[in-house]
Amino acid sequence: MALAAVFVLPILVIMGGLVFYPLAVSTVDSFYRVDPMRPDTPFVGFANYARLVTDSTVQASWFNTLAYVVFAVVLETLGGLGAALLLDRIRHGRRWLLAITVLPWCLPPVVNAIVWMWIFNPSYGLLNKVLLGLGLIAQNKVWFNDQATALFLVSLVHVWRMMPLTAVILLAALQSIPGELYEAAKLDGAGPVKSFRLVTLPLIAGGLAIALSQSTVFAFNLFDEAWILAGSSIDTRSVIIQVYLTAFQSMRLSSGMALSILAMIGSLAVSLVYVLKVYRETRYD
Amino acid sequence: MKRRLFLAAAMVMPLALSLSGAAQAADNLSVLLPPWGTLPKDMTDKFAAERGVALDAQTLGWDDILTKIVTSSVAGTAPADATELDWSWIGRFGAAKWYVPLEDKIDPKIIADIPTASIFQYDGHLIGVTYSNDFRVLIYNKAHLAKANVAAAPKTPDELIATAKAVKAAKIAEFPIGLPLSATEGTSTAWYLLTKVFGGDLFDKDFKPLFIDPNSPGYKALNFEITALKDGLIDPAATGLKDVDVQELFKAGKITFDVAGWAGNMALYSDASKSQVANDVAAALMPSTIGKARTLGLPEAVGIPVKAANPKAAAAFIAWLLKPENEIVLYDQLGDMPARLSVLKQLNDSGKLKDGNVLLAQAALVEPLFTQGAPSWYPDFSTAVATIINQAAKDQISVDKAVTAIAKAAADAQAN
Amino acid sequence: MLRLVPSLLSRLGLLLAVALLIVWSLGPVYWSFVTSITPPLDLFGDTSFWPKHPTLQHYAKLFGATSLSQGNAVQSVWPQFSAALVNSIVTAAGATLVTVVVAAAGAYAFVRMKFPGRDICFYLVVATLAIPAYTVMIPLYRLMISLRLIDTYVGIVLIYVSAFLPLALWLMRSVYQAMPISLEEAAWLDGAGRVYTLVFIVLPLAAPGLIASAILTFLNAWGQFMVPLVFSPTLATKPLTVLLPEFVTRNYVDYGLMNAAGIFAIVPPVLIVLFLNRYLVSGLMAGATK
Repeated sequence: MALAAVFVLPILVIMGGLVFYPLAVSTVDSFYRVDPMRPDTPFVGFANYARLVTDSTVQASWFNTLAYVVFAVVLETLGGLGAALLLDRIRHGRRWLLAITVLPWCLPPVVNAIVWMWIFNPSYGLLNKVLLGLGLIAQNKVWFNDQATALFLVSLVHVWRMMPLTAVILLAALQSIPGELYEAAKLDGAGPVKSFRLVTLPLIAGGLAIALSQSTVFAFNLFDEAWILAGSSIDTRSVIIQVYLTAFQSMRLSSGMALSILAMIGSLAVSLVYVLKVYRETRYD
Repeated sequence: MKRRLFLAAAMVMPLALSLSGAAQAADNLSVLLPPWGTLPKDMTDKFAAERGVALDAQTLGWDDILTKIVTSSVAGTAPADATELDWSWIGRFGAAKWYVPLEDKIDPKIIADIPTASIFQYDGHLIGVTYSNDFRVLIYNKAHLAKANVAAAPKTPDELIATAKAVKAAKIAEFPIGLPLSATEGTSTAWYLLTKVFGGDLFDKDFKPLFIDPNSPGYKALNFEITALKDGLIDPAATGLKDVDVQELFKAGKITFDVAGWAGNMALYSDASKSQVANDVAAALMPSTIGKARTLGLPEAVGIPVKAANPKAAAAFIAWLLKPENEIVLYDQLGDMPARLSVLKQLNDSGKLKDGNVLLAQAALVEPLFTQGAPSWYPDFSTAVATIINQAAKDQISVDKAVTAIAKAAADAQAN
Repeated sequence: MLRLVPSLLSRLGLLLAVALLIVWSLGPVYWSFVTSITPPLDLFGDTSFWPKHPTLQHYAKLFGATSLSQGNAVQSVWPQFSAALVNSIVTAAGATLVTVVVAAAGAYAFVRMKFPGRDICFYLVVATLAIPAYTVMIPLYRLMISLRLIDTYVGIVLIYVSAFLPLALWLMRSVYQAMPISLEEAAWLDGAGRVYTLVFIVLPLAAPGLIASAILTFLNAWGQFMVPLVFSPTLATKPLTVLLPEFVTRNYVDYGLMNAAGIFAIVPPVLIVLFLNRYLVSGLMAGATK
């Protein structure tokens, strides 16, 4: 009991002091009108939240963020799982391949976005050059003029950066599966697909839930990629960009806090859905 | 077990305290400026020697500096003893009372020498002193014009279009006119500038929009941009270009006109190590439909936060920054146009100012965007303007719809 | 002979997959590298897969050769860059160390020990993953000011730990949960204490999980932007991620310099991953379980 307290106390102190306390302060503030440009801070109840629900710009940013979440979670999970399975199978040079796989994460976010900006550049970009060369398009395309394409490309930059995290988590999960289980499945006549479904998937379920949740959360928090590639453009503006514009550019702090709390609740809710689902579907007794 | 707990706590506490104590010594001055305010080391050393104050210069990227200032000011602290103050922040920071009045701290004779000082007035008080005097001027590639057999720089918007068409027809530049149309601030300011070019203003004195009527200058300005885009005079890729991207295109000789050119950029464009058009670049007065070449001033200033730890040294720093020799170093090293008219003249006389006579003539015609001072709702409005123009440029909405949407955004911003 | 065909095919598939992964991961990095050795005047010219006039001038700028151009002294950025590089390494490594230690111990308590509110506690901590940085920034700033932790390594590391602990904790918990308790019970029967058991029996087995947590925390801390932006005002603690955007000056985006700095910035994390990932292999575990 005392030992448990020693082990857990640092967590309680750090998380309590640096996360829960500030969160509580912001939550309380979101029910007041906190605006440094106005003299006092009256209690306004849910007025900040109510205004957010009806604001069409905010609605547009929610739509964009949900699109990012869908693109990012699907692509990161499939790509990350593929990369992890590959890394798990490779015998020679695995450490190099892993280092190469995590490289995208190491490029500072600003440089990352700028590199992709170059690639997407309509006049001098690599993307147009390659597609023209392959004969897939007839003339240079301005990629960000079309909302669906713009959302996809912003997601792609995000996925490029975040996929390594999913791959590392899933690789760790794969590594903890004892080899005997595969041999047993093989003896039972299971092919690769069947043994993946019966052995691998249930045993990495925990890791998968973690990977899915972190993909969701990071996609909900997408900011840099959209901001650097397309500024405040309504086609790509994410909820967190909207938070930034509201709280820091317009200095309506409590309104921004309210929106960021809604974003938090949104990402928690989405994560919860599949954490529960993953745990339920893969439970085996 | 208890001992262990105690040990853990005992280890963390002094560590936390010891590493944090090093901060403020007796006469320290912290200054927070964007990259173009990164003072050369010789300068800061000289300041430290002259005043006996250790200068701690902090630099932050442009988008980030605002986040930093808002966060620390809201938390009731000073972001630094002296900070950047953009013209567009005045309404907000003035209303929030975050910066101290400076009129009694700086020599009035110097203030009188700074034409843009009025932009930094809030409620009758001067809360910032200009250090970078950004104003807009028409920058063009005279070699392109010569090849297209055009003798002189355009004086009206129509001439600008005609020249651009001639350049395009002669296959000298595919898209001669450089204007940003992405959803970024540079797009908004370009439209504000063009509104002045067409001889008008955005708002009347009660902040009622003046740009909805199809015959209004604001409407014509937006229509000018969209038509030029559709006629192939502006690169369709401009919907993704920021102002700095347009400048890169100009430096590479891909475009003929940097329409919303920054006066300070003349130094850069004429620098052969950074620009391919160093010998061809020229400046001209802004085109105009009314004869007078109106232009926008978008200056940046230094201000002192109310909670500054060392306001005295900060005031001394600002006064020192305005010395002619220091303003000249800022221009030479960082491309910041001098704030003081006398220094600008001095620079021109010494032949350091490329097309200096044009710049001086244009500098005399600089106007603020809002004669009333930037209102507190400016950022909401300006972000909406950039977003809406971007949509119009992407052909998602018409010019008619765009100006209506901008007017609505202005009303919403003012209501909030 | 016939049996060889499927295995050959699967080998080919494997190779193809490896190639795909390498191109996907390295392609943009390679492009960044090409930009970093392209002279500034060529950047807006015709782009090609191979740099036509490779130059090291951006790297020269980075490493302190003060050059003169048009009579203007170009300031060397190396002092800033190296200070920021050190700050990035110190804060990321510090955060990794603290996070992994705290998570390894804490997750063990959450799995193997019983105390009131255990599960609630765990779920609450994990749920904080979802909190956007902006939500807590202003109150946190006030708190750090009153603790006098602004612009200190301790302050930055503590914030990083609070941000990345939930993920590490969750990962470690799932690793412990997957472990058979029989090993530990055997150790206790032999008279080993709980701490001894954790350190010498459980942790070696959990090595892949620990290393994965360390890699995740290090990379997350390395890429952080928002936290240091506000909490690291000066070069005393300012990391690379905050320094680099400053190369975007108002009238000159130094693409070459930024990319050179970016290329250089990927070296430390890659070295760490190369070094650490030796332990991310199940081979180590196999010996212990026997």
